[in-house]
Amino acid sequence: MFETKRLHPAAIIFNLIKTVREFLFAIILGFITFRDESLVYFVLIVAGLLVIFITGNVLTWYRYTYRVEDNELRIEYGVFIRKKRYISKNRIQSIDLTSGVIHRILKLTKVQIETAGTGMSAEASLSAVKLAEGEALRQELKTGRTQQADKGDIAEESAEPIYPSDTICFKRLFIAGTTSGGIGVIMALAVAAFSELEQFIPDSFYDNTVEWVIGLGFIFMIVLTVFLLLLLWLLGIAGTMIKYGNFTITKNDQELLITRGLLEKKQLTIPLRRIQAVGIQESMIRQPLGYVTVFAEIAGGSMDKGEDFSSILFPIMKRDEVEEFLGTFLPEYSGIQSELTPLPKRARKFYLMRSMIPFLLIVAAVGIFFPTFIWAPLILLLVGGLVLGWLRHKDGGFSLEGTRLTIRHRVLSRNTIMMYHKRIQAFEKKQHKLQKVQQMASMRLSIVGKMGAGTHFTIKDLEETHTDELSDWYSLRSQGSN
Amino acid sequence: MRQPPVNRIARDAIKAWKISAAIAEGVLWFITIALFVLAFMFEFSYWYGAAAVLISGISTFFFVFLLPKLRWRRWRYELFEQEIYIQHGILIVSRTLVPMIRVQHVDTKQGPILKKYKLASVEISTAATTHEIPALLEEDASELRDRISALARVDEDDV
Repeated sequence: MFETKRLHPAAIIFNLIKTVREFLFAIILGFITFRDESLVYFVLIVAGLLVIFITGNVLTWYRYTYRVEDNELRIEYGVFIRKKRYISKNRIQSIDLTSGVIHRILKLTKVQIETAGTGMSAEASLSAVKLAEGEALRQELKTGRTQQADKGDIAEESAEPIYPSDTICFKRLFIAGTTSGGIGVIMALAVAAFSELEQFIPDSFYDNTVEWVIGLGFIFMIVLTVFLLLLLWLLGIAGTMIKYGNFTITKNDQELLITRGLLEKKQLTIPLRRIQAVGIQESMIRQPLGYVTVFAEIAGGSMDKGEDFSSILFPIMKRDEVEEFLGTFLPEYSGIQSELTPLPKRARKFYLMRSMIPFLLIVAAVGIFFPTFIWAPLILLLVGGLVLGWLRHKDGGFSLEGTRLTIRHRVLSRNTIMMYHKRIQAFEKKQHKLQKVQQMASMRLSIVGKMGAGTHFTIKDLEETHTDELSDWYSLRSQGSN
Repeated sequence: MRQPPVNRIARDAIKAWKISAAIAEGVLWFITIALFVLAFMFEFSYWYGAAAVLISGISTFFFVFLLPKLRWRRWRYELFEQEIYIQHGILIVSRTLVPMIRVQHVDTKQGPILKKYKLASVEISTAATTHEIPALLEEDASELRDRISALARVDEDDV
């Protein structure tokens, strides 16, 4: 039904760019270091290599074919060693379409196909196919999975409009950009870039500029600072816009479909059964404003998707909208508990100590080595650490509802995570001497994470009876045997 | 769940741990001696060497003479039909529950030191974690491995 095809010829160019990029540094270095005659040889070698790369890439492209046959995606590739990779439709977990800027100009897309296997990259990656072709391929591979027998296209089309969908609005994106905290990162980058650039600026120019700026006076400096901050803020918003622009989430029968990106357009599928846990994150800036991010922990998946994205179900929404959102898209995770069993009061001192120790060490080190150091920022850090410890203690907690466990903890952002009994891979209760005296214990829950590695959640200093209650809940042993 | 697991690991674990700790400490002592030789050759202060002796001495006492025994005393495991229950840790006592239906595979491992004492360790892997029960008697280890693998044979594809 799907005849043998090659990738779009643009794939050659993409591959070439990728190869050249890896050698770019060496090439530039060569141009700088080699002189006169040796430069000529160098250019010749580079040209020779380029020819080899191009031929190699053309051959690779020529040999790379794919087709759908017998409910399998069959890919054949390899120039010297012929390889065949057959992926059964039933084993395909997700099919993602990504279109970068060049892809979009040429109306192409990159198709990434993943199975449950764990690895650094997707099982099959078609780097450039026509957009329509990519969508057809996805449809083809997907339909085989759910309904092998009937090929009723009509039934499918009529069913489509029922799928619930949610799109981010411009105002929300704007808020997300403002509160993304990206400003801080960009500011740090700007400072780092400036300190690198500084050495290239001639001193005289520097002095003149400084004199000029001072001459302009105090008000100008303030205007300049405000302008810079404004610029950074706009950059933060632009970054979010590019990343999350047109964010749309749609629910099909068995999967969530996410589309996002202004320049690079990504389409991802998340099979519902691969979701291990669902959580909401409230960053320090967003929490007072009542905004949250909804995310999911997903088993498997590859690094190609980008570290944080694959798990974000919705970048920003009001806290009171979460309930409705989960009710629509993930009904089994609806009913968020806001009243959790808190940590015992006596745990607070442990939390305060824990968040203070790194700062205390810094203070001690500075005190020993630089006695004349300015103390104000350090004391500020110390107070910050105390506040953080206090908040961490206040926000920690858990709640049990049937087979579902909700935990809440804070690192910097406050995370509330819901998971089902059957998703937890192991339960660990930890207790050190001081905790034992105080009758408290920590617990660690492990669920399946990305790339075959586990994701672990630790809640420290729970009431010991609560930890025991939780481990009884987790234990599959019949309760009588104890 | 308040009771600790009942089974201890093999008594010879202490000897095996002592030997492997002694090897690591040997490297440390070698560095200490090298420091003295260097101090003699290049005529810098012997204080660095003295500090190294102190560090090596203390760590040898802890890792070779003190900790293996404590660790052995704390190490417990118990196998139930539905789950594996493990306790370990000297300062921080940790008790882990691994349900049988979550177990992906079980390995037994044996290095040269463990082989000398006819011991082997069992490694239990879930989709997210690995847990090791170190230094069991060879026959206990293989029996444990086989039993876990038999008990874990449940077809349920949650993941």
